[in-house]
Amino acid sequence: MTGARQANGSREVQAGSPLIEVTDLWHTYMAGTPFEHTALRGVSVEVRAGEVVGILGRTGSGKSTLIQYLNGLLRPARGRVVVDGHDLASPRTDLRAVRQRVGLVFQDPETQMFEPLVGDDVAYGPRQLRLPMDEIRARVRWAMDTVGLPFERFKDRYTFSLSGGEMRKAALAGVLAIRPRVLVLDEPTSGLDPGARAELRRRIQDLRDREGLTLVLVSHDMEEVARLSDRLYVLQDGVVAAAGSTREVFGDAARLAALGLAPPEPVQVVQRLRALGMAVRPDALTVEEAGDAVAALLGARV
Amino acid sequence: MSEFELLRNITIGQYLPTGSYLHRMDPRAKIVATLLLVGAVSFTPTLTGNALLIAVCLGIVAFGRIPMSYALRGILPAMPVLVILAVMQLLFFGRAYDPSSPVVFHWGWIVVTAAVVRLVIVSAARFVELLFVTSVFTLTTTTTELTHGIESLLRPLRRFRVPGHELALVVTIAIRFVPTLALEAERLMKAQASRGGRIGGSRWQFVERTRQMLPVLVPLFTFALRRGEELIVAMEARAYTGGAGRTSYMVLRGSPVDWLVPVAALLFLVAMLRAPFSV
Repeated sequence: MTGARQANGSREVQAGSPLIEVTDLWHTYMAGTPFEHTALRGVSVEVRAGEVVGILGRTGSGKSTLIQYLNGLLRPARGRVVVDGHDLASPRTDLRAVRQRVGLVFQDPETQMFEPLVGDDVAYGPRQLRLPMDEIRARVRWAMDTVGLPFERFKDRYTFSLSGGEMRKAALAGVLAIRPRVLVLDEPTSGLDPGARAELRRRIQDLRDREGLTLVLVSHDMEEVARLSDRLYVLQDGVVAAAGSTREVFGDAARLAALGLAPPEPVQVVQRLRALGMAVRPDALTVEEAGDAVAALLGARV
Repeated sequence: MSEFELLRNITIGQYLPTGSYLHRMDPRAKIVATLLLVGAVSFTPTLTGNALLIAVCLGIVAFGRIPMSYALRGILPAMPVLVILAVMQLLFFGRAYDPSSPVVFHWGWIVVTAAVVRLVIVSAARFVELLFVTSVFTLTTTTTELTHGIESLLRPLRRFRVPGHELALVVTIAIRFVPTLALEAERLMKAQASRGGRIGGSRWQFVERTRQMLPVLVPLFTFALRRGEELIVAMEARAYTGGAGRTSYMVLRGSPVDWLVPVAALLFLVAMLRAPFSV
């Protein structure tokens, strides 16, 4: 297990100043119509520079609504959202500047591609920013190389000839090309086959480790969240029902169960072993750590 | 609040169960009455007549227990069209439309006559009335009722080989897809804005907005085609075959009293056609 990546609870994060601060945020859909529905009820969330924040919650818990505030797609009517010094409630706030700092990748982002050629589609964002041509080219090259679609090989491929995994990566590159400081990912690996999923997860890890991007990760995949995040927020019915470091939140099995979520499988294995009275290290998060913990236990027995 | 909330402003194609008489009414009678009212709106060229029509529309909205603010909201997205239409009429009709009418405004080549002013007001009023009538109709009628209503009304035409069932189905699907497409358009606008796209902005910057729509329209078409194909597969998978021999889960019921409504609408239409309104 040497060389296996340490899980993130132990990753050194230079917790910088808060890049995004959400304070007591409320949101009501279709306000003023008979279809009114309150999706957020006083949510407070903080994202600091350089960290990876996971957001968990069942379908309908308000996750997707919350992330739309992070880049100013929605503006707070009640509550405060400050993104890198920009107060979203203020009418003078330059929303495009906010959206340039915070890139948001929607679920199934490949459905938003519209140019016939991959390179052109990735270039949409930088072109809209009216950057000089060579800067656009440099950004597209960087974004495509970063997600693992080598620029020279893929730029002139037809968008619709890409495989599902490649299309997902191209769509991700389209957001990366505006060079955001924070990347918000909504279910980034859902619907991909296991191979493509593992690769994309690795690419996201690289974004965090090599590019130093701040990430907000919304996912149903507990394993994925455990592997990537430093801190977690669990939403339930529009309220933050649990928050803390990844280890803290996943360590409290009873509370998670009450919120309708199950911890990642390695955590479940360790918790069950402990329930059987075995002295396994309790804070293992990933398969590798659980493996180490069990090996340590077996070693101690011999 | 949000520049992207499209669905909020679309009242056509939504169903709003408030349990009024209009909701319980026989859909066939309701369809006929709606068509007659649309006729009354289309054939009333006078100011007095349109004032009366607006009053009738407001009455119908109240009768259907539809919140007035909700009914009015449907007009908002149409505002730019109404304004452009009015400006075009004011600028370009000049003396061509009813040359005998007195000139009320004259500046350079722009000539506005009293008849044109009346036309502008009547056009806007008609638009609003049509929107009210169709909104109330869809807000009080479920798609199932609508389908069965149309099918039932077209049944006598079957001997002339009019495919009533198929037409009804087409209408149902079209209406059912309006909110679906609006939601998808909203999602795509947000997605493109999230990667730097200049999307959104004020309702009035329509030239800029139109130009920015391509990155939304292309994926929206793809989506619509894909959804259409999925629908075909889903229908085939449930062994759907057209109208002949098909029985229905919902039986149209309504009292004969319901037919008094289209009769009233017919009388209203005739009255409007023959009314001696001078302006």
